Amino acid sequence: MIKAENLQKRVPMAGRELEILKGINLEIKSGETVAVVGASGSGKSTLLGLLAGLDDASGGRVVIGDTELGLLDEDGRAAFRAEHIGFVFQSFQLLPALTALENVMLPLELKGQQDARQQAEHFMDRVELTPRLDHYPRQMSGGEQQRVAIARAFASRPEILFADEPTGNLDTRTGNHIIDLLFELNQEHGTTLVLVTHDLKLAERCQRRVQLENGAVWVE
Amino acid sequence: MSMTATRMLARDWRGGELGILVAALVLAVAVVTGISAFTTRLQSALEQESHRFLAADAVVRGSSDMPVAWLEEAESLGLDSARTLSFPSMVFAGENQMFLASIKAVTDQYPLRGELSYSEQPFGQVQPASRGPGAGTVWLDSRLFALLDVAVGDSVGIGEAEFQVVAAARSEPDQSAGFYSMGPRVLMHYSDIPATGVVQPGSRVEYRQLYAGDNRQLETLVEWLKPQLGTGQRLLDVNQGQPGIGSALQRAESFLLLAGSLAVVLAGVAIALAARRFSERHTDYVAIMKSLGASSAAVNRLYGNSLVLLGVGATALGCAAGWVMQAGFFALFADQLPVVPGPSGIRPYAIGFATAFTCLLCFAWPPLRRLGQASPLRVLRRDMPQETRRTLGDYLLGLAAVSGLMLWYSGDWRLTLAVLLGLAVTIVLGLGLALTLLRGGRLIGMSAGSIWRLALAGLQRRGTANALQVVIFAMAIMLLLVLVLVRTSLIKEWQTQLPPDTPNHFMLNIAPEQVQEVDQLLRVNGVPSEALYPMIRGRVMSVNGEDLPQTDDREEGRRQRGANFTWSDTLPAGNELVAGQWWETGTTAPEVSLEQEFAARLELGVGDQVGLLIGAELLVATVTSIRKLDWQSFQPNFFMVFPPRVLAAYPATFMTSFHLDADEKPFLNQFIRRFPTITVIEMDVVVAQVRAIVEQVSAAIELVLAVILAAGSLVLVAGVQASVDTRMQESSILRALGARRSLILGGLAIEFAAMGLFAGLLATIAAELSVYVLQVWVMDMNYVATPWLWPIGIALGVFLIAGLGVYSCRKVVSSPPLAVLREL
Repeated sequence: MIKAENLQKRVPMAGRELEILKGINLEIKSGETVAVVGASGSGKSTLLGLLAGLDDASGGRVVIGDTELGLLDEDGRAAFRAEHIGFVFQSFQLLPALTALENVMLPLELKGQQDARQQAEHFMDRVELTPRLDHYPRQMSGGEQQRVAIARAFASRPEILFADEPTGNLDTRTGNHIIDLLFELNQEHGTTLVLVTHDLKLAERCQRRVQLENGAVWVE
Repeated sequence: MSMTATRMLARDWRGGELGILVAALVLAVAVVTGISAFTTRLQSALEQESHRFLAADAVVRGSSDMPVAWLEEAESLGLDSARTLSFPSMVFAGENQMFLASIKAVTDQYPLRGELSYSEQPFGQVQPASRGPGAGTVWLDSRLFALLDVAVGDSVGIGEAEFQVVAAARSEPDQSAGFYSMGPRVLMHYSDIPATGVVQPGSRVEYRQLYAGDNRQLETLVEWLKPQLGTGQRLLDVNQGQPGIGSALQRAESFLLLAGSLAVVLAGVAIALAARRFSERHTDYVAIMKSLGASSAAVNRLYGNSLVLLGVGATALGCAAGWVMQAGFFALFADQLPVVPGPSGIRPYAIGFATAFTCLLCFAWPPLRRLGQASPLRVLRRDMPQETRRTLGDYLLGLAAVSGLMLWYSGDWRLTLAVLLGLAVTIVLGLGLALTLLRGGRLIGMSAGSIWRLALAGLQRRGTANALQVVIFAMAIMLLLVLVLVRTSLIKEWQTQLPPDTPNHFMLNIAPEQVQEVDQLLRVNGVPSEALYPMIRGRVMSVNGEDLPQTDDREEGRRQRGANFTWSDTLPAGNELVAGQWWETGTTAPEVSLEQEFAARLELGVGDQVGLLIGAELLVATVTSIRKLDWQSFQPNFFMVFPPRVLAAYPATFMTSFHLDADEKPFLNQFIRRFPTITVIEMDVVVAQVRAIVEQVSAAIELVLAVILAAGSLVLVAGVQASVDTRMQESSILRALGARRSLILGGLAIEFAAMGLFAGLLATIAAELSVYVLQVWVMDMNYVATPWLWPIGIALGVFLIAGLGVYSCRKVVSSPPLAVLREL
């Protein structure tokens, strides 16, 4: 279970403090799929960053399971992410120097998993990219890169998956295909999915939608 | 973390991320190791060379015979030993031929170092000999054959014994350098001395015991011997180099060390630039790894391990390359070096290792260390600032590292200071000038055409980054210019010092009535000679009316000294006045001009009175000038010069020097027969050797220059690459907006050329300054202004930087904009 209590984020901007999140309260149950929607600048990505422990909150707290993220230091949060969290990003975030397979192996290697290669190959097969194991990201299309990213996200079998505009850089058809894949795998593994998007059609596929506006929860 | 540094490095290598870093490291290690090994071995060769001049590693010299127990002690320590005895004696031939010769009797082991040489006929083909003449036989100086009218196979008498002449004595390793008073040499066997009966108590003789062997055993012997030395017995050390070769090699060594130091600086800069780019490109990498759960410590460990691996690999490669380099240098030299250079030991390789790791630690690690602090939030927000910027502390660390390495490596603080001074001027002047000029550039650019506007706006927009880049370019160009300049003046100076017709023979004891005839004979035979100098032998007896003590001739300090004088109305060629004034032509005042070091030994300055004994007469003269002269010029040089009229009344002989090619040597036979009393000293072997070595050293210098040029190019490439990413990004956006190829490339060319212009200008200013300091302080050369440097330095900056810049960014016009943007 993910729990956000009075979550706030302020950043200094031109001598003043800009309030990006104004005390968000949110609860996401295990296995639930939730879409965070809102216009550009509404604070969606900031919320995602805080929920995933990528950033420090200015106030309030985030608790995942029994762990309060704010009590961990950066390295503690990194270890927590390695164990429990997966990501899919809008800009794929594959490492250009690694092949598709190596990219998928990376989180497994970070966890110290011995069978990293087999696991990675399995997930590459699952996203139908077995023929492209040794290709570099620059040799692949956007859709293929995002499939690699999905394989990477699921390969470490996370309990929670955060997806930040996963179709934002893709055309509609490819985007649909990616979403199908994402939900399919999500169902297979019973992962909690937190998805940030401004695509309402995509949001509708989630069990619940949280709409942000000006840094506050507008509709839930 | 199971993802090992090896795998990351392998992946980065494949991705081309490590090229410059590795190349810079390998180059630095190779140059430093190669040069250091080369100079170490060269030094050992020079040391052996000085041993050669003693014919041993250590020598005890005395006017009375030394105990045999000393030789036995040496033997018990496992050292080699030999004995010599030198004395003047008449040599007789036939009924009434005789001549005062300088006899030297040697044991079978002589010489322990260096080589004896002989020829089967006088002035014939010189051949090396492993030992001197056997018992009952002698070798005679070439000119003695003519003086005594004997041939090989005849017999000569020394004292009461008869000897068979079997060869001509040509050279000994420990031949006395003071050849003015030397009689012609006769070499004989040590065991024949008693038979001659000429060595009696009180005879003017010089005994020597020679020792050679293992350094430690030698030291033991020396320590054992020292307290036992009696009066008139002296232990000779090895600090007696051969001037001609020694000085050429020493300057070459300074140059090589300078080159090596510059290589370290250049490599350091290249490594710093490459590491910064590497860490910038890895910021996202780290952010992704951290978002996937890698801790800061794990990231630091990963990059730390990578650096260690990189360091070890580059050191191994660099050391191997360095070894090949020094072996290559010695291959060039092998035939010319008079001795086989010893091994270099491990120090050069240790220096290479230390260089690699110091460079990595001080230049590469600071930006990489901060990678661990990169925020994982970058995976969501790529516009977050990067943490790879260098701090003042990093720059200071780099500066300290460069200075420390240079100092350790060259062992010469003046050299280090000269280079640092040049660098400091480049940096301070550079940042100021670059910022001002780049700012000014925009004002001009506002009203210019669109390519210019684009370029100058680019320069202005990245003002600080560009200024830094200009300074880096300027540093690289400056260091290269310094090296080229020093090399050029060094080689030029050598060439003027040893022109092809350098005198290689000296002629002494020419009587005044022979002068005209000798001059004529030389001219008829087409032998180019220097002027004939009058020469008078005298002795310094008093200074400012105070008598000097009469001590052993070999004592240092203020004492009576014998010297050769000459007279001249003009300052002799190659001499330079360092104090006082030269006299007026025709003066009759008793003035004297002294050679600098001679004056220093007698503690004399301008205005002092010096009393001289010439023949039986006393002359008191006032020191009116001090001269500096080049003892390696192979010209007749004098300690004391007088106005001609002052010495007119004293009996003088004349001397000259001339050049003779090997095939003209038989002329000497004819000459000696005609003038048996004239002494001819052959220096042709030495001169030829010096010239050959200088040529080889020049070749080595060119080779090193090429390597350093490569290091400099690396810096330029790394410098250009440092800014390529941003420029590519901007250019591909422009391209996407429809900008023409010519606009983009033109804009880039102008932008880079402008930076090159500033860099070239700065580099030239700093190079002139550094070269001045280096030549005057470090290399003991004369500073020569180099006006040609200015256009070349500036043109080099403009074309090189513009060319490299446009080349590195060429992709932006040859690939679709999206592909370019995606790769960045």
